[in-house]
Amino acid sequence: MRSSSVAITGLGCLCAPGNNLGECMVSLFKGDREPAPPLRFTSSHSGSYPVFEVPDDLASLNHKGISDISLTARLALAAAHEAVGDAGLDREWLRSKRVGICMGTTVGSAMNNEAFYRQYCRDEEPDMAPITRFLHSNPASVLAREFDLTGPCQTVVNACSSGTDAVGLGAFWIQSGLCDIVLAGGADELCHVTYNGFISLMITDDLPCKPFDRERKGLNLGEGAAVLVLESEECRRNRKKQARAFVLGYGASCDAYHLTAPHPQGKGLRRAIEEAMELSGSAASDLAFINAHGTGTKDNDRVEAQVLNDLFPGIPFLSTKGYTGHTLGAAGAIEAAFTVACLEEGRVPKNAGFATPDPDLPASPVQSGMAVKETVALSESLAFGGHNAVLVIGIERGLL
Amino acid sequence: MTIKEKLKKMIVEELNLEEIQPEEIDDDAPLFGEGLGLDSLDAVELVVLVEKHFGVEIKNLDKGRIAFQSINSLAAFIEERNAQ
Amino acid sequence: MRLSIQGVGVVGGFGCGVEALNHALANRESRTQSVSVKTAQGMRQMPAFLADTSKIEDFVNKKALRRVDHYSKLALLGAYLALEDAGQLEADRQRMGMIIATGYGASRTTFAFLDSFKEDGDKFSSPTHFSNSVHNAAVANVSMLLGITGPGLTVSQFEISVSSALFTVRNWLKEGRVDSVLFGAIDEYCDVLGYCWHRFFGEQEDAGQGMNPLSFNLQSAVPGEGAAFFLLTREENGGQSPYGFIEAVEMGRCGKEKLEVPEEVMLIIGADGHKKCGSYYKRYVPEIAPTVCYTPIYGSLPVGSAFDLAIAALSIKNKKVFPSPKNGCDKPGIKIVSNEQALGNRSICCLKIGGGGEWGKMTLAPFPLTRP
Repeated sequence: MRSSSVAITGLGCLCAPGNNLGECMVSLFKGDREPAPPLRFTSSHSGSYPVFEVPDDLASLNHKGISDISLTARLALAAAHEAVGDAGLDREWLRSKRVGICMGTTVGSAMNNEAFYRQYCRDEEPDMAPITRFLHSNPASVLAREFDLTGPCQTVVNACSSGTDAVGLGAFWIQSGLCDIVLAGGADELCHVTYNGFISLMITDDLPCKPFDRERKGLNLGEGAAVLVLESEECRRNRKKQARAFVLGYGASCDAYHLTAPHPQGKGLRRAIEEAMELSGSAASDLAFINAHGTGTKDNDRVEAQVLNDLFPGIPFLSTKGYTGHTLGAAGAIEAAFTVACLEEGRVPKNAGFATPDPDLPASPVQSGMAVKETVALSESLAFGGHNAVLVIGIERGLL
Repeated sequence: MTIKEKLKKMIVEELNLEEIQPEEIDDDAPLFGEGLGLDSLDAVELVVLVEKHFGVEIKNLDKGRIAFQSINSLAAFIEERNAQ
Repeated sequence: MRLSIQGVGVVGGFGCGVEALNHALANRESRTQSVSVKTAQGMRQMPAFLADTSKIEDFVNKKALRRVDHYSKLALLGAYLALEDAGQLEADRQRMGMIIATGYGASRTTFAFLDSFKEDGDKFSSPTHFSNSVHNAAVANVSMLLGITGPGLTVSQFEISVSSALFTVRNWLKEGRVDSVLFGAIDEYCDVLGYCWHRFFGEQEDAGQGMNPLSFNLQSAVPGEGAAFFLLTREENGGQSPYGFIEAVEMGRCGKEKLEVPEEVMLIIGADGHKKCGSYYKRYVPEIAPTVCYTPIYGSLPVGSAFDLAIAALSIKNKKVFPSPKNGCDKPGIKIVSNEQALGNRSICCLKIGGGGEWGKMTLAPFPLTRP
């Protein structure tokens, strides 16, 4: 591994396919998916749009001694606890180190409580609890309080690339010697406001989403969280901890094109990919696969397939959003966790939802689970507003 | 007010086209690309506005694309739907 | 590694541009306007520091602004002013990154989006309002109009948003990921915020007296809005840098020890009349440094410390410390600077503490590391 590589020593992941990373991967390789109309809220749309919901009464979401924080914050905590446990760390040890927190979110930073606002508009003097809850629920701050940490603390609100950005940014904090450990990831809950927003943009599918498929009509929303424990070489060598994988490179770039549509030639995505690959020292031939953004919208999948085919012809790519839905601020982190797990297992699941190639797309995604032998993979995100973020992740197979 | 007049007023006001008067919009001029220069975000906003002001639903953007070519085509689309 | 401040662009209750800020500081001006707040007892009037974004039309034509909301207009105006101040309006921006800090994001448009469907039904949700309601819409709108194609980032950390975001500005430049960063902070006032203010803080004891942030036991905060933008480069690419250099950016949480500031430093504290934060300032502000507090110039908002950063930059440029507009301090040991004085070769430290004891610190140095 290059000196700039940053070790990933623990992973936590919670989303519709599973309550932890292991469960998620079992679901993915089984090809299971169960999007359904939302249960947590009702909508007055004439049709319903399937979502990938997490049961909000899960034991792992019930954090003793912490009351009144948002579901987004509870999802973040659950993933963080799994990751910290996976890394073999405890609170006391963490308190003795320089630990940073970098978390992505969208809903988690939005003060849009509907019930409160309706009552306010009707002059009904609403209970202020939703506002207080919002003020206490900043995801990075919640993690800092939970683990009693005083290092750099950052909540990234970069729309759909937040999770990828958080991991990339956090990796630099390790690389530059600012932190010994960084908890990096993302979290987002499903909510009625966001549901309406994406439907109003006419980029949601009223059927289970079909990334890269000819019949694709749009995305399905999802929710969840993932946290990666990033660790300095000195730290992990001192405690003789094997890295599960490494962050090899991070690239990021703005399209500067449109508020909602991606650049038609994927200009920003290409730049972000090239930057990430260059920083990682990897070549296309090193790549086992690409975890694509693949939301299932007409525009995103067309642009992405074109770019991937130009830059990495023949390299398998897949979207895992057919299993999770689009989890917004959590997506990049969940997909980074999936990327690590797939590299470890030496295989990728099929691109759920894909059945028919689109003649407008130069390439099709992985259509059935397959083995991969290379040790490096790419995970990319294209955000609303035109930001593109890419991670290069690698494992050292011989050491497992 | 005719449907076309109402449409022009709605477009200017709701899409915030401050520098043009509704009467200045040519019935046949393209709404998207050149002409008024509306874009994909305006298209989905128009879908909501047409439903709100005329009670006509546009279920997908392929149908919308044909209707949105000009004021004429949009007025015709609305009239046809209202007759059903 | 130190950062050079190439240009500063500000808009707030004091007006628009560094000259307006300079004027307000020299004259200790607190320019508030009256806003109406809907309460159960009827409409109430309350002061607020409001920002006028009309000057954006000096830079961008109206047509390009038709979908741009107040939040993004604040960002655009701050951005253009900073670039103009730096003489960089025409420069290439392919190696420029953009980072924005915001406490509450585009709150007006967030509620406008709710308005679009809450009575009429979900199918009337406005996609334009939704697209603009996300916190990163400002980066999107500014990067589009200015052609910034480097990385973009929006950070939201309430009172520590500015320090946290600046931490990444420094990292990007140190890493060589970009050659310059357009860094800005924005927060806007909205009716719902005013309502929350009324519910949480009620009638303030000294209503009409304005902000008295150094009376740490008083709740005297007045909401503010605005934007403060900076064009930042690595020190070696900074040229003359009349605004000085950002030397350090730190974050932490108040614990048992006193907060450290270097000796011989000018301390700007971001106390803004909130009792809860006030208790932390009272307990933790070190007594060794001459201290000023400028929040009565721009008001109380999560990203207020970006205005402190702008004022620190102006102090360095003008080689003077502006007087603290309000002096009454209820902690006798703190040395408040109540008259204008020379800055000399002192560094300036901007300290902001949030309601939970989390703090952010930014230190500026007036001179380059290698003086001629």
